[in-house]
Amino acid sequence: MTGNDAIAEAAIRAGCDAYYGYPITPQNEIANYMARHMPARGRVFIQAESELAAINMVFGTAVAGRRAMTSSSSPGVSLKQEGISYLAGAELPAVIVNVQRGGPGLGNIAPSQSDYFQAVKGGGHGDYHQIVLAPHSVQEMYDLTALAFDLADRYRNPVMVLSDGRLGQMMEPVTLHEVRSRPPPKPWALTGARGRKPNLIRSLLLGEGELERHNLRLQRKYARISRSEQRWEERNARNCDVLIVAYGTCARIAKGCAAAAADFGLKAGLFRPISLWPFPYRPMRRAASSAKCVLVVEMSAGQMLEDVRLAVAGMAPVFFLGRMGGGVPEEGEVLRRLRALAKTTRRRSHGAE
Amino acid sequence: MLERVLIAGSGGQGVILAGRIVASAAMRSVPHVTFFPSYGAEVRGGTSNCQTVLSTDEIHSPLPSRVDSMIVMNQPSMERYRKMLVRGGLMIENSTLCGRPPGATAAISVPATEMAEYLGSIRAANMILLGVYLRRKKLIPVEDVESEIRSAFVGKDDSLLKINIEAFHAGLAYDRSP
Amino acid sequence: MKTVLYKRPKSLTSVPTHYCPGCGHGIVHRLIAEVVDELGIRERTIGIAPVGCAVLAYFYFNFDVTEAAHGRCAAVATGIKRVLPDRIVFSYQGDGDLAAIGLAETIHAANRGENITVVFVNNTVYGMTGGQMAPTTLVGQKTSTSPDGRDAPTMGPPLRMCELLNTLPSPYHIERVALDGPAGVRKARNALMKAFRAQLENKGYSFVEILASCPTHQRLSPAQALKFVGGEMAAQFPVRVFREEGKAVNA
Repeated sequence: MTGNDAIAEAAIRAGCDAYYGYPITPQNEIANYMARHMPARGRVFIQAESELAAINMVFGTAVAGRRAMTSSSSPGVSLKQEGISYLAGAELPAVIVNVQRGGPGLGNIAPSQSDYFQAVKGGGHGDYHQIVLAPHSVQEMYDLTALAFDLADRYRNPVMVLSDGRLGQMMEPVTLHEVRSRPPPKPWALTGARGRKPNLIRSLLLGEGELERHNLRLQRKYARISRSEQRWEERNARNCDVLIVAYGTCARIAKGCAAAAADFGLKAGLFRPISLWPFPYRPMRRAASSAKCVLVVEMSAGQMLEDVRLAVAGMAPVFFLGRMGGGVPEEGEVLRRLRALAKTTRRRSHGAE
Repeated sequence: MLERVLIAGSGGQGVILAGRIVASAAMRSVPHVTFFPSYGAEVRGGTSNCQTVLSTDEIHSPLPSRVDSMIVMNQPSMERYRKMLVRGGLMIENSTLCGRPPGATAAISVPATEMAEYLGSIRAANMILLGVYLRRKKLIPVEDVESEIRSAFVGKDDSLLKINIEAFHAGLAYDRSP
Repeated sequence: MKTVLYKRPKSLTSVPTHYCPGCGHGIVHRLIAEVVDELGIRERTIGIAPVGCAVLAYFYFNFDVTEAAHGRCAAVATGIKRVLPDRIVFSYQGDGDLAAIGLAETIHAANRGENITVVFVNNTVYGMTGGQMAPTTLVGQKTSTSPDGRDAPTMGPPLRMCELLNTLPSPYHIERVALDGPAGVRKARNALMKAFRAQLENKGYSFVEILASCPTHQRLSPAQALKFVGGEMAAQFPVRVFREEGKAVNA
């Protein structure tokens, strides 16, 4: 099945009660799939009037204690930022899918990874974080979307599945694992105050010191998430000549190049973050500590690059290969870069300092 | 085993459908398969191409920069993509709409659009070329492919399915080496 | 003696359009260009292109055109016209752009009586993104997000934009036409002429809704689509003048 369809199928199996979307290439297949399958199962499907309306419908369903998802692509996700901030501030679970395309502005419909900052560093206003999961295969589109619903409910937080136009359109075999579809009890939800005190959902806290205390609580939650929900994949990451760091589509390309690099005597390893927030800083630093250098490959002007630099903290030189505006790194150009880096690092280690 | 195949033509020639059929059929017997369609933003015209990769090992790039086989349905696609074919690769061209590529590797020329018109629908040219390809590259059981063609036409006119299956078999039987 | 019967309007470039066979956009582009030529305003005209099949309209028009974010044409038009009041500013929008994501901007620009011209191409579907349901999709009409047909109880009935805007006091000209044949095309041209002229004479906000075909996503042949426009579509969206010279016109 295609990546987009896998996301939709995972959501359905995870018990997503409502899907709200708006057409935008390259993720229309998600809405089309949901339109075909949700009403038949007695669940909600609405093509909203805009992405802004859609995220607010998600907010509503989350307030009611049910599972909701919305999907869009870069320009539409920009519209959702206010909603995401509200979801985070009010501590509501929700799943947001961004199938990234070229930007800024209307851009193009080619794949990109230039929404990393938007997803991981904020995008919306205020001190908040959403959990960000980055699949690199159709199987992961399925697995991580199912996981997203789980994490959203576990932490009462928005979770984003950060994909790109290539992964969405690509078709691969998928194993549709059993998914836990029963959310935890939600005593805080607004379901009508029968037999209990009324509940209130809000993010406006005007009292003296109230908002700061709330923010401190949120920060403690984010610290808990950071401790428990870091996810990554390492391949041949110890004592390599070049440690490639990449996620999503770039990680796939990197895997191919790392394998091919062995042919010219270069030991290339791969560190693939799967959770972009919480970012696996410590594991990355450990891997980088035995590498001669690090190469970050991204479809952006260098966004995850900044977090890699933070993680590596000077343990090894960090280099960058980026493509922008919908450009995708080709195996050939990555290999050429690896070769060039291999030369420099060999020179360095032969006492040329 | 690694087989990378590119199918290219203009929008409306059923390029994506052909690729999807190959991929879906292959998934039944090949350990790793990826399929990737590319569209222009326009709904009609423009170029259309897709790449299918079949492999016994993990596939790293669903969009390889070189391919082992190529099915080209019109001239603009021929000009655009022929450099992607590896030396000695298999080139199948729709001669009705493609000129002879200068200095080409041995290509199999099939007047697919004419043949399809004769069978009743020019849109079945893609099935003819699919048959020609599968005869040369026996990587997927023919029954699996035929089954996928049938699935693709569920809910459509019976006569359409008949024409497309005939076209597929005409391609399989096509025997004109360069 | 040679008589030129027909030629490409100056306001239209010679770039071949990318539209599907039977699409209404090509006709509307040409009509706008003819009107702009006839009024002699090409060098004062500024168009705002939508996000939709007509996103590339700027390649086809031979005057200044800007893009706007999806749905925001009316706001962008307001921003231009307020500081350049002597230019002729018009927006060109489809169903999603004008009546879904851009509904608020559309209504408020009309309510403020902005001295702009809004051209609304209504073909009941979202074309560029693959045939999704639009606010104007007819009840029972099948699209990729209403696969079993638009169901009024869960999705709401279609929106009638002319009627909606007609509840506002400010608009000067509101008219709906249909591209269902040569007579319809001529009527559309006249409507556009009145709308652009209204702006030229500083009379206020003008709105022209043009019912058009989209054979690809209406899932019809071009000939059948024309009949659909003049038949089922016109039955849901009555073809008439709603507001003329600032005064309501009864049905």
